[in-house]
Amino acid sequence: MRIPHLSAVVPFFLALSTLTTGCRDREVAVYQAPKDAVVTPPPAAEPAAPGGLPPGHPPIPGGAAPAAGAAMAGSDIQPQIAAGLALRWKAPAQWQIKPAGSVRKGSYKVVGAGGAEADMAITAFPGDTGGLVANVNRWRSQVGLGEQTQAQIEAALEHLDANGLHMDVVDVTGKGQTGPVRLLGAIVPHQGQTWFFKMVGPEPVVAAERAAFTAFLRTIEVP
Amino acid sequence: MKAYLESLRSFFVSLHLTVALLILSMLLVFVATIDQVNLGIWAVQEKYFRSAIVFWTFPDSGLALPIFPGGYVIGGLLLINLVCAHLYRFALTWRKLGIQLAHGGLILLLLGEFFTGLWQRESYLRMDQGETKSYSESFHAVEMVLVDTTEADSNRVVAIPEARLEEKKGLQHPALPFRLEIKTYYPNATLQMRNPTNPPATTTSAATTGAGLQLALIPIPITYKHNERNSPGALVELTGAEGSIGTWMVSLQLAEPQTFSYQGRTWQIMLRSKRTYHPFTLTLKKFSHDKYPGTEIPRNFSSLVQVKSKDGEDDREVLILMNNPLRYRGLTFYQAGFDNNDTTTILQVVRNPSWLLPYISCVLMFVGLMIQFGFSLAGMFRKRQRAATASATVSAPAR
Repeated sequence: MRIPHLSAVVPFFLALSTLTTGCRDREVAVYQAPKDAVVTPPPAAEPAAPGGLPPGHPPIPGGAAPAAGAAMAGSDIQPQIAAGLALRWKAPAQWQIKPAGSVRKGSYKVVGAGGAEADMAITAFPGDTGGLVANVNRWRSQVGLGEQTQAQIEAALEHLDANGLHMDVVDVTGKGQTGPVRLLGAIVPHQGQTWFFKMVGPEPVVAAERAAFTAFLRTIEVP
Repeated sequence: MKAYLESLRSFFVSLHLTVALLILSMLLVFVATIDQVNLGIWAVQEKYFRSAIVFWTFPDSGLALPIFPGGYVIGGLLLINLVCAHLYRFALTWRKLGIQLAHGGLILLLLGEFFTGLWQRESYLRMDQGETKSYSESFHAVEMVLVDTTEADSNRVVAIPEARLEEKKGLQHPALPFRLEIKTYYPNATLQMRNPTNPPATTTSAATTGAGLQLALIPIPITYKHNERNSPGALVELTGAEGSIGTWMVSLQLAEPQTFSYQGRTWQIMLRSKRTYHPFTLTLKKFSHDKYPGTEIPRNFSSLVQVKSKDGEDDREVLILMNNPLRYRGLTFYQAGFDNNDTTTILQVVRNPSWLLPYISCVLMFVGLMIQFGFSLAGMFRKRQRAATASATVSAPAR
């Protein structure tokens, strides 16, 4: 075999390289597509009345997030951040439902004596979003407390098991601009996502809701 | 010139070239098999076999050096070598028919693999019981979509491929009323809650709206494991005529799109698995997971689906079983998996226009080798017979 004419093979190499490397898709595609089927939320224990809730009606279970495109009275259309099966719960009657905003699964206003308000937020995110220690320390920083080690956090943690779900319950009090601020939180891993139930507000308001918060956590269930 | 062409011919018809290429392909297979530990099967196929040249990237730099011919070059040269040798030494005789057929089959096999590499597209279709879908999703590729959902009957989708996100550049498209600026792109990133007292270092490019207000993208190493998937993420700023509309964080981990309004129209932004829409819909009527009676040993998995074409030609029920895929309009749907307590099916969707080539080539090679060995066998029998006759005639007088 003589190999002096390898140069003749070069065009072949070049053609093949162009053929195989030029295949990477770079084109922006524009097309009409049918609307995605709306994932029907699991039936809620107490379905929301259309067009808003009657006076005195307990807040609707949050698991039944409004389907995309369906406007719920007083709330934005909310993207459902976490996939998979949702959780549902029953909020105490004294918690007032609030517009959920862009990422919350549920949002409530808790009004205490003298009109002071605490905020109750329910969110869910995929994965462990940094893990227990990072999330508890994030909550601690929200009430002006410093970070703690894993051992310290685990020592202060309460555990609650309800309806097949394990909840890590956090209760921390720090200093706010107008007085002590308390945060009650529960971290609930469920089907590869982490759900956060967090009430934060002036210490007296949150303290008055401590028992209601625990009772609320016990209502959280998989539909 | 003539001498040049002759030397070129002798190069391509040479058996030395065949041997050299076979040795190279053995080396390629060996190294690729070893590298599978690092890269996994899919990446190895792309790097070593479905490429013209194998590149080696200097660690911690983007500099890539060509170090070895890839599968396309070796296979391509082998193909040329085979065809040239075939044509050059071709002789139309019955004796050579077997060889011709076997080689023809080999040529077809090489061509088949080449076309499969070029044309085969694999995706998956995941359906819950009762769900209808008209698209399948890529196992690996992602796309960022901006979807105008204002109209009631259908959506207008602008899909930006991953390659454009990787470039981290600005992007203006006539179908979009705003400009896109890809500020950050990570091929694999996890999500972490954003800490108000300790914001991420890239505060200037952090999301200003949507889910990114609460979540931060944390880059993690790319995974090559066959049972894991990279989860790309990006920060994208949209700018209209009046200035910035906002910066969104998009991630494959966010399962639902983020919605916003602009100039009276409703848009969704999302990073998702690349979709391929089909001119028909599939509806999962029932998924069955049969077990042997009294045991947990699976006996069969099957999906009963309703196939409905948009042109109204087809509307029928089909049962897809493990070894009985549905072949429909150039696509093959295999039963690949299940989920959610046997209520979700996962079908693998393969488009491979050249799927028949390996079968044809195997038949050709089988027939060719049978003829070739048949001739040899017949020749051997004839020889033996002649030898027996000869020895009989030689030994006869001795009796």
